[in-house]
Amino acid sequence: MCEMRKRGVSAAVICSEPFVKLAKTQAKVFGVPDLALIVIPHPLGGLDMDGVNTRVDVANQQLLALIRQISR
Amino acid sequence: MSSLEAWIQQPNSTVRSENDIKKVNRLFQERGWSDGLPIIPPTTERVREMLSYCDRPWDISIGKVAPRYGDATPIRLAVNAVMAGCEPEYFPVVMTAVEAICDPAFNLYAIQATTHPCAPLLIVNGPIARELNINAGINAFGQGRQANSTIGRAIRLTLMNIGGGYPGAGDMATQGAPSKFSFCVSENEAESPWSSLSLERGFDQSTSTVTVVGAEPPHNVNDHASSTGIGILKMVAGTMRTTGNNDIYNYQEGTYPQPMIIFGPEHAKTVFGDGYSKEKIREFLFEHARVPLGEFSQENIDNRFRRKYGDAPLHLRIPIFKRPEDLLIAVVGGPGKHSVVIPTFGATQAITRAISRVDGSPARLIGDLKVN
Repeated sequence: MCEMRKRGVSAAVICSEPFVKLAKTQAKVFGVPDLALIVIPHPLGGLDMDGVNTRVDVANQQLLALIRQISR
Repeated sequence: MSSLEAWIQQPNSTVRSENDIKKVNRLFQERGWSDGLPIIPPTTERVREMLSYCDRPWDISIGKVAPRYGDATPIRLAVNAVMAGCEPEYFPVVMTAVEAICDPAFNLYAIQATTHPCAPLLIVNGPIARELNINAGINAFGQGRQANSTIGRAIRLTLMNIGGGYPGAGDMATQGAPSKFSFCVSENEAESPWSSLSLERGFDQSTSTVTVVGAEPPHNVNDHASSTGIGILKMVAGTMRTTGNNDIYNYQEGTYPQPMIIFGPEHAKTVFGDGYSKEKIREFLFEHARVPLGEFSQENIDNRFRRKYGDAPLHLRIPIFKRPEDLLIAVVGGPGKHSVVIPTFGATQAITRAISRVDGSPARLIGDLKVN
């Protein structure tokens, strides 16, 4: 994702809450400190489909907000 | 001016503290630079002494340590080796291990950042292992020998302070493992009936090597009853075939897991005595270290295995490792009827590097690397 951003492609990374610190550190390491993160509740593994869909809704709201922001 | 003196002149390359071991340690703990145990303060003098066993340029990186991709210069490595309590003679082993873990095939980023409790296991072979008194015998994986404890610890501090593998940031291990403090042994070549790990991996007997494995802690194989090779190997296979095992599913096509069996010398002698070469051991364990599909939970069967094995019956036996040649075999330990199985992270390859001079030629003795 960082490489895509560097090449001018809009990109975001989806991560669960405990991994935000790792994601921000990695984005900084790879030279894109402002890489957009879409943050969902933890966990992602071991969920039933309702649990997955809840996270999809959370992610979609942030994704739409991001697209609006980019389109401005 | 040496590269060390030049480095010290750079902003933020040093910290000042009162000459008080407790205060120095408090400072290092507060900054998150320690593994939680007290450190030896890395003064300029101690770092210089550590570098006396480094014949390479002290300020040129020998690898980038993930996930921060920090430059592993000998100076930075020496700071961590001092902190860990290494003798200067150990430093070439630390540097060789760092080169090995920075090989892309080792997949250090994943090893560091994963929730899995893996750590780089160092296995040192050859004359230098014996010269440095790295324990290959009784309690080799445990406490008691300075070389094992501090070389392994130097790697952990490097992973933290150069690689950024801090718990909750660059290291997301759910529970971690005690082997993340230090994980270094030597192979008991004197009591191994087979050719050494190092020889098998293409090095000659006079070359000393460091092999790194992205490993779980050891899983014990207690077998006081078997008096035959096949008996011991059946017990090893039983210990290998577990359901919660990264090796069985965490790999990519073309890059296959390399789990490890480390025999205690008594088990090794019995297995060898019944005619088992390493090749025959691999074939036996490839065939017998398998988990029937029906032993996994339904969710695992549906979400992990059906994709690969389609409509296979529940009695299909899934191999822990995918090709016989991928199983790593070594001999470590003292008297007693125990061996260990070491599962890995899965998506990682073991790397072996010779302990070498700057020109690439192998060092025969540790003194070959002394520079002043």
